[in-house]
Amino acid sequence: MTQEVAGRVVTGRVVTTRRAVNRNQPSIWAFRGALSRRAQIGIGVGTSVALLLIWEAVARSGLVNTTFLPSPTTVLGALLTMIQKQSLLWHAGVSTLRVWIAFTLAAVMAIPIGIMMSSYRVVGAALEPIIDFIRYLPVPALVPLSIIWFGVGENTKLYLLWLGTFFQLVLLVADDMRRVPQEYIEIAHTLGANTRQTLRDVAFRAMLPGLVDNLRITLGWCWTYLIIAEIVAADSGIGFVIWTARRYMKTPEVMAGVVVIGVIGLVTDQLLRALHRRAFRYL
Amino acid sequence: MTQAYLEFHGVTKRFGDLDVVAQPFDIAVARNEFVVFLGPSGCGKTTLMRMIGGLDTPSGGEISLEGTPVGGPDHRRGMVFQSYSSFPWLTVAENVLFGMRYRKDLTEREKLARRDHYLDLVGLYEFSNAYPNKVSGGMRQRVAIARTLAAGSDVMLMDEPFGALDAQRREKLQVELRAIQRRDAKTIVFVTHDVEEAVFLADRVIVFSKRPARIMADIDITERLGAERPLDLRDTPEFFQLRTAVLRLLREAAGDEAGDEK
Repeated sequence: MTQEVAGRVVTGRVVTTRRAVNRNQPSIWAFRGALSRRAQIGIGVGTSVALLLIWEAVARSGLVNTTFLPSPTTVLGALLTMIQKQSLLWHAGVSTLRVWIAFTLAAVMAIPIGIMMSSYRVVGAALEPIIDFIRYLPVPALVPLSIIWFGVGENTKLYLLWLGTFFQLVLLVADDMRRVPQEYIEIAHTLGANTRQTLRDVAFRAMLPGLVDNLRITLGWCWTYLIIAEIVAADSGIGFVIWTARRYMKTPEVMAGVVVIGVIGLVTDQLLRALHRRAFRYL
Repeated sequence: MTQAYLEFHGVTKRFGDLDVVAQPFDIAVARNEFVVFLGPSGCGKTTLMRMIGGLDTPSGGEISLEGTPVGGPDHRRGMVFQSYSSFPWLTVAENVLFGMRYRKDLTEREKLARRDHYLDLVGLYEFSNAYPNKVSGGMRQRVAIARTLAAGSDVMLMDEPFGALDAQRREKLQVELRAIQRRDAKTIVFVTHDVEEAVFLADRVIVFSKRPARIMADIDITERLGAERPLDLRDTPEFFQLRTAVLRLLREAAGDEAGDEK
């Protein structure tokens, strides 16, 4: 089918005098072809809805045990009940707050350190081996240690989140700074800027779009670690809700919790993307 | 050409064990002279120019501007690169204004007046509010030229600034640059490996050998072609002959594999 459509497009272009059909409408299967934003959204929504419908049908057909795979409508029902009776939104708020506190802490530290690592070789040489080592340690492996250090309170959770984000982020920031073209730096210097001015007015501005993108991506990772932290030791938060529901085999509630995380992630991501588009129109 | 303005006194340069220059360099550039460093790729001509700008330091010898040894970079020696020559996050006008950002001797009003003057000079006034990604590659280079002029540089250092442009845009910009240089009276050191560009633009072409660099020839172009360089100068036999002579020199300079140098 792909070949056939592509073939038509080609003929349409060669024989220009023939009807203008298809000339301005290339196949959606054109290799690396363009697709309008509306079409993209439509297709995205379409596949999601289709998947939900299939899921609903399978769950209702009795082919699978609904204890393991409840239908989407059941999950939605559970979600609404949880909002009313188990203050699910409060838990979601607690989780979001934890993520943002730990993430802000990680970002505030990672940005200057990452910038320094790429601005001064000596800082990079000193820190890179340590950061690279810690970066490869899986966060769950550090849970026992952090409980020994911080107990089971709020600090442990924030520490775990910070741990999972900071070391990743600092290398990404360093990379963003490294990628700033040397030409920009030298232009600034030949215009009389000192090092501080060059960093602030040129290098930082040049790296900013990449930085914001990396912050958005690492914020997503932060949610992963949040659930680990809340499962290990918590009496609040989405992770706690999910883990409690699991204990009683309340699959719909487990799934509802997962859905909440997904929704928060999706909304945050889209907001940050929109912000990126607005702030960096020049790209 | 009697009064030396920009001078190399026995300048040498080494990167590790690698000699950039074969012998200490002595070059004297007069005020308002348009000098082109011509040589095969990687011959070290760019390094020599960067040393004028203070972006590289000589391993030996000294470069002086009006008798004073040059140190680190400052706004008197402006740089125009081939790529990344303008800041993408600033509009055309903001880019030009940025050239004066660190000058404390100008008032805000003077800066704006200069910005408009140089935007006009390079024919970009109507594109003031456009971002660089919305204008052509040639316009981006004009932004860089306007920024450097607005910054108040006495010496403009240009590293293959038209290397990434198509042939028509390049010719147009060459004519414009030569006119700007004549009108604004600027000393320009221009690096290229394009013989035609070198002969068309320069008052004087210095031909370098391949690395380690040696001066193969120092040719006074203005003496032969005159100072005015209209576009149709390229079609004259004089231009053609000179171009061919320089091309031959460059082939010699590059050694055997020079066939692909244009």
